[in-house]
Amino acid sequence: MRPALHAEWTKARTVAGPLWLLLGTIAATVALSAGAVSVARCPCGDMAEVSLIGVDLGQALVVILAVLVIAGEYGTGMIRTTLTAMPHRSTVLAAKAAVLTGIVAAAGTVAVLGSLLAGRLILPGHVQPLTDGPTLRTALAAILYLTLIALLGLGVATAVRDSATSIGTVLGLLYVFPVLSQTIGDQHWQRLLQRITPMPDHLGVTAAWAGAALLSGALLLHLRDA
Amino acid sequence: MSAFAHVVHAEWTKFRTVRGWVAGMVAAALLLVVFALLAGVSSDQKGAPPVPIGPDGGPVTDSFYFVHRPLTGDGAITASVPALKSSIPADPEHLRPGTVPWAKAGLIVKESTRPGARYAAIMVTGGHGVRMQDGYVHDTAGPAGVSARLLRLERSGDAITGYASADGAHWTKVGTVHLRGLGPTAQGGLFVASPPSVQGMGTSGSVSTAAFGNLRVQGHWAPGDWTGGQVGAESPGFAGYPANTSGAFTESGGRFTVTGAGDMAPAVRETLPTGGTLGEILTGTFAALIAVIVVAALSVTTEYRSGLVRVTLAAGPGRSRVLAAKAIVLGAVAFVAGLVGAAVAVPLGLHLAEANGVYVFPVTAATEVRVVLGVAALLATVSVLALSAGAVFRHSAGAVTTVVVAVVLPYILMAIPFMPASVSTWLARVTPGAAFAVLQTLVPYHQVASIYTPYEGYYPLAPWAGFAVLAGYAMGALAVAAVLLHRRDA
Amino acid sequence: MPCVRPCQIPGSSRVAAAATGPEPGAAYNLRHESNCELALSAPGIVVAGLRKRYGTVLALDGMSFSVRPGQVTGFVGPNGAGKSTTMRVILGLDAVEEGTALIGGLPYRGLRHPLHHVGSLLDAAAPHPGRSGRNHLLWLAHSQGLDVRRVDRVIEQAGLAPAARRKAGGYSLGMRQRLGIAAALLGDPPVVLLDEPFNGMDPDGIVWMRGLLRSLASEGRAVLVSSHLMGEMQHTADHLVVAGRGRAIADASVAELIAAASRGNGATLEDVYLRLTREAVEFRTGTSTEDRK
Repeated sequence: MRPALHAEWTKARTVAGPLWLLLGTIAATVALSAGAVSVARCPCGDMAEVSLIGVDLGQALVVILAVLVIAGEYGTGMIRTTLTAMPHRSTVLAAKAAVLTGIVAAAGTVAVLGSLLAGRLILPGHVQPLTDGPTLRTALAAILYLTLIALLGLGVATAVRDSATSIGTVLGLLYVFPVLSQTIGDQHWQRLLQRITPMPDHLGVTAAWAGAALLSGALLLHLRDA
Repeated sequence: MSAFAHVVHAEWTKFRTVRGWVAGMVAAALLLVVFALLAGVSSDQKGAPPVPIGPDGGPVTDSFYFVHRPLTGDGAITASVPALKSSIPADPEHLRPGTVPWAKAGLIVKESTRPGARYAAIMVTGGHGVRMQDGYVHDTAGPAGVSARLLRLERSGDAITGYASADGAHWTKVGTVHLRGLGPTAQGGLFVASPPSVQGMGTSGSVSTAAFGNLRVQGHWAPGDWTGGQVGAESPGFAGYPANTSGAFTESGGRFTVTGAGDMAPAVRETLPTGGTLGEILTGTFAALIAVIVVAALSVTTEYRSGLVRVTLAAGPGRSRVLAAKAIVLGAVAFVAGLVGAAVAVPLGLHLAEANGVYVFPVTAATEVRVVLGVAALLATVSVLALSAGAVFRHSAGAVTTVVVAVVLPYILMAIPFMPASVSTWLARVTPGAAFAVLQTLVPYHQVASIYTPYEGYYPLAPWAGFAVLAGYAMGALAVAAVLLHRRDA
Repeated sequence: MPCVRPCQIPGSSRVAAAATGPEPGAAYNLRHESNCELALSAPGIVVAGLRKRYGTVLALDGMSFSVRPGQVTGFVGPNGAGKSTTMRVILGLDAVEEGTALIGGLPYRGLRHPLHHVGSLLDAAAPHPGRSGRNHLLWLAHSQGLDVRRVDRVIEQAGLAPAARRKAGGYSLGMRQRLGIAAALLGDPPVVLLDEPFNGMDPDGIVWMRGLLRSLASEGRAVLVSSHLMGEMQHTADHLVVAGRGRAIADASVAELIAAASRGNGATLEDVYLRLTREAVEFRTGTSTEDRK
């Protein structure tokens, strides 16, 4: 596992893509959050959530990053080199997941702290500091959420193997579900849909999606020819 | 065939021979149908009280406190309304005095007390002066500038005429309306209505109390006492009275004090939240969009990846023509997918909604056709946008994400509850998400204070104007792609 | 004499060259060590009875051969004969329905740090276009617990030094081949497996490649090279496996093949190859049987 981790980490840091995508995630999250806080009417409720709305945008870049980690290799054919060097396929996937988790968690932390800071600067007194229990929980949930979305993207891309289709699938899941749960009239269905929608305040649901995606990805990686 | 037709033909052959792309477009059409099915079966309102329907067939809110007596044949009623005071909830338990601009107190002649029955009324309002209203949707302003507090309503046959006066000596005619098919006996009298008050991003029920004086009637009014009661207490559009209040009237010495809540107005989304819309039946548009975006982006980026683009450009050296041919083929396929999907989804969704007792805001056949064509045009235009993004980025991941985020994220942001209306309408004007206006079937009314945001189904731009915004983005992207295709090496 | 093909797969019509294997007709599985001790201890590559189907197409139909150390074994055959599939199976990338492919007695997927055991080049290296050749080798080295010194060593060896720090997206096919060779040599493996290494090479590159293959063999490594260039094989390979319709239709030394086929006419390897593949004849060491099917 150590060499596989080392290899995947070397892969991640020796191309420009991941770094730019992580910086993009931070910039997009903070920018949209700051924009939302500055226009939000009625700064009366919990503005911590408002100041983290940028996660909705940042997650899209996280999805690209996560999908390209493996679909990019299928695109160039490098996956065969990878699996020749590391024939234990689950180890490869686990190493990719570990590296991805690390870098997304790091970038996510910067993005979330930056968004909260922006919120505090724009609406002083309405966004509580991190020492406030609920704010800390919200912030941690957002970071975890971004990490889980990355794992979801990795799992889907491992199963689908094509970057565009994987990104379409994951973004569809992330963006169409909320739209759907808004438009469904029936309360019972609405609650059900909201329960299965990946969201920062549904970490368990998000984790289940990510786990299912990773599991099916791992299974297909094992069963299929490279 | 012209040379360009050959290029289009070649692109069509390329498209239809990749099974995954054809499958993606078929999936787009299926997603429209599947989501319509889901929306249709997900709601069950069997046994819910019926939605009152106005004289022109549209859903209405018809709940107010009515103090009435039957009037047979021609006649008139006059009264002064010296005071109209409204209260809105300060918290769930308590009320505070407030202004409800469309709180109404005045005189009315109504076919019957059945919700949805024809009427004509003259009234003073909380913030819009004297108005004469009829048929739920018609609203005429009374004399401006004078604080007219005396009102008069006359019936002559099916014609009802309203007057207003500040001093009782000089009367101004506000309007005459004809209530076609009004029987010889109608209900006439005093009424108070108090629509929900818009507070922030929501509404809360209000209650209003009016004092009436100088009540005089002429003509064949049934003898006996005035009867008070809430019209449409069970209507789905009636939010009820705030806590610890109820509708009532008292009479002492010719002065009446009437307390009421509700409204006489066309139903809007906020007052009829259980009502469905065509836009909801076509929620699958969002999912279909993503499928179309993936196929469109792939159709150009795979050429770069496999080097096929060099073959393509060698076979058809006019690079812009190749791009235009691709756009035509993809646009046409996406249009057909959207058309077929929506044309199946709409009747299916409507049928399922009806079977489940869900009231769907009615649309004319022309509007239905416009919505179906709009979805098809939306998919076609987005496919051109994604194609252009693919040609610009030459990378499917970037192209897909950019277009999905550009088109779908604005809609999600518009729908965030805390987003002020100004921001969400701005988003619905300038972003590619403006094109979701093609799904709009609801009409806002100036005389109904409500929340008219894209989230509620009200877009600031007309359907085709919103679509034009997206088309502008697509054409711009296509132009950029054409320029880059010329400048860059293949 | 080492065990060349010690285990016959049931259904194979061919006869083992040396009678060191078990009795013909008996069913054996190479995974049963007791039956195939020789195979397991043998260095090089032993491919036995590979059978694989892609949909309705039978890609491999009893492919069996072995690659001995100290030799360059050419792997030739028409397009679609199953060469690349066989190589992918050897490298554990593709699964087979039947048969085994062992390297030094072990299946590829059982190797820890496989690049120390087998170096391989499939299609040309497929590096990420945005990563430099050196960094491509660096992650591969890290995956095997190797360090950067080994990377610089193989960069020199593959003649990649001038381009090593450039992005691989700008490499020519020849340069990608050199990058792939560098990757194959990274773990200093006793077995080297190269798919079409001459593709895209300029004349200098072809000469270099020829020398490299010879020197790898002379160092005692087992070298398997697939190619369509018969002239090149005639000069470079010691032994030849000719694939046709998913099986090895000939498995013999180059000298024997030429001698047996030309019968003194001075035929080239190309002539032999064309005759073998056109008529789908089988030819192998120690037999002059030509089974016409």
